[in-house]
Amino acid sequence: MNELSEFFGRRMPADRVIPELGDGQVAVQRIGQRYQCQRCQQWLAETDRLPNGAWYCRQCLQMGRLTSQTKLYTIPEPNRFPIPAASRLTWAGKLSADQQRAAEAIYRQVQQGKDQLLWAVTGAGKTEIVYPALDWALTRGWRVAWVSPRVDVCLELAPRIHAAFRDVSQCLLYGEQTVPYAYSQLTICTTHQLLRFERAFDWIVVDEVDAFPLATSPLLQGAITRAEKETGQHLYLTATPGEALQREIRRQTLAVTYLPLRYHGFLLPRLQVRLAWRWRQMLAKQRLPKGLVRQLQRYGRQGQRFLLFVPHVRDLPLVMAALDLAGIRGGASVHAADHDRTAKVQAMRDQRVSFLVTTTILERGVTFPNIAVVILGGDDAVFSTAALVQIAGRAGRSADFPKGEVTCYVQSQTRTIRRAQVMIDRLNRQGKQRGGHT
Amino acid sequence: MTTCVWCQRAFPVSLTLPEILAWRPLPQPPLCPSCQDRLTPITGNRCPDCGRQQATRTVCHDCERWQAVPLKNHALFRYDAGMKAYMQQYKFQGDYALRKALQAPLSRALSRQTYDILVPIPIDQQTWRTRGFNQVTGWLRDQPYYQALAVKDDHKKRPQSAKTRAERLLTPQPFQLVEQVAPILIGQRVLLLDDVYTTGRTLRHAADQIYLGGAKAVTSLTLAR
Repeated sequence: MNELSEFFGRRMPADRVIPELGDGQVAVQRIGQRYQCQRCQQWLAETDRLPNGAWYCRQCLQMGRLTSQTKLYTIPEPNRFPIPAASRLTWAGKLSADQQRAAEAIYRQVQQGKDQLLWAVTGAGKTEIVYPALDWALTRGWRVAWVSPRVDVCLELAPRIHAAFRDVSQCLLYGEQTVPYAYSQLTICTTHQLLRFERAFDWIVVDEVDAFPLATSPLLQGAITRAEKETGQHLYLTATPGEALQREIRRQTLAVTYLPLRYHGFLLPRLQVRLAWRWRQMLAKQRLPKGLVRQLQRYGRQGQRFLLFVPHVRDLPLVMAALDLAGIRGGASVHAADHDRTAKVQAMRDQRVSFLVTTTILERGVTFPNIAVVILGGDDAVFSTAALVQIAGRAGRSADFPKGEVTCYVQSQTRTIRRAQVMIDRLNRQGKQRGGHT
Repeated sequence: MTTCVWCQRAFPVSLTLPEILAWRPLPQPPLCPSCQDRLTPITGNRCPDCGRQQATRTVCHDCERWQAVPLKNHALFRYDAGMKAYMQQYKFQGDYALRKALQAPLSRALSRQTYDILVPIPIDQQTWRTRGFNQVTGWLRDQPYYQALAVKDDHKKRPQSAKTRAERLLTPQPFQLVEQVAPILIGQRVLLLDDVYTTGRTLRHAADQIYLGGAKAVTSLTLAR
């Protein structure tokens, strides 16, 4: 029994013969002239062939290789969960009036079975807003997945959700996990892990739907669609929906709930743009734009801690050296492949370092109270509109310090920066109508 | 622009004038510069016996312990974190396409070696069924080789990579000569080809068998040390 539950609503290879599973399905199938992987739905290249004649899929290789000799087995999702009489929510916190309004809207739309989007500004408390609807879904015996393209977001969410629904069986799935899979009602996982599921979930909550790599990956978008039951629905959470999602809102195929105000009721800090002529050439000579240096020295005098975003990992040592020359010390640099990444971010939280120089990896999911944000080279292509809005959203998140400065140094004004400013202004206009203060 | 076979990202290829003017296909490097940097070639001073990168040209400590069974090995890359990641994806996850990444360096190294017959280290039947390829012959493009060795049927199934050094050194002879190929070896200089030289146990077992087949000299070449 227990070994069968591994196949509930999933699509898995079996390492031994289990008679209850039936014949299974060949993992890499020939369709017309080409071969298609049945797990990730990607087409194979003509060279993806082994000397023993089998075809294998390179796209989902990290989850274990599938070849045309492997078989995948599935058992339709039986929803074998206890149905409780009362609410399962063990969260003691309280929603603000604005959050309550959004929570009720989502609750209503879940009951109507609509696909929806929660468009809430950075720092609005998106997770908690979903709790009432999630509670309703779980008491009905639904199988629910809470997914995010970012593993950091999953790791941060899992303990919070676990505490909020203590009596609901939960499991956390991501690439490097060591805990084995367990059939559970609430699955918290990265979007990649959804590739292993097949028509399993009644409701999928996609956190940070616009984040890399989900936004640009048809593979992962397909994974979400396939993991959802035919009768299922999904909820996207984001602060910065991309063009495709905004189009769906206009076409009204996606119900949308706005939350333009942060939980403390202050408006978003605006993005200020300053020109820095030929900053890249200056940086090669270990110099930073004068205005930037003056600003950072002012922060140093005031004891204001700050985040400095740069476009590329290779800019980090140059910027650190230039800051050192300018007498701005006591900080650290962080990038995605950094082994001490979590330690450095923690040091920043504990106020042991006074600033961090970083790339877009810290654009979302991190909260530091009372922080100023500076972007060097905001006109670089790596800073998309969504990234800029998210980065600006690092400032002024705590109720004690609801205001913050966000400055962007550029060689030239670009359309993405303009769009980011427009998006912030638009949210602030909506926020003002609901009584937000500057 | 070509696609890197390892990270699967597109990268620009910078061509030199002779490459453009030469009457042959344009070079298509399989790895992007950042993936290429993950592999460290062994250069300069090395151990004359096992080919390990070191500060001096004297025989290393490991090889001193092998004085009774000498074998000259040449290695191309260090077995560091990058090479381990490569082997993990190529060999253990079975990404056969990654073979292209090292075909060119191996081909250059083979052309510098002196040998008559190239003998790759074999894999056993079970591995052939699950992995679907021999990781060593995957690196060969069209160089002729003789599969002179086979893994004995009674050799117990536990990969060398899962053992400690002491356990590896106690491994019994896993290979036997393939009968029809054996006469070809008589009086020849044989080059053994393997993926990683760790303790030297596997290669020395293989060399023993090749000498039994009548070979004049046996040396070895490995991708990593």
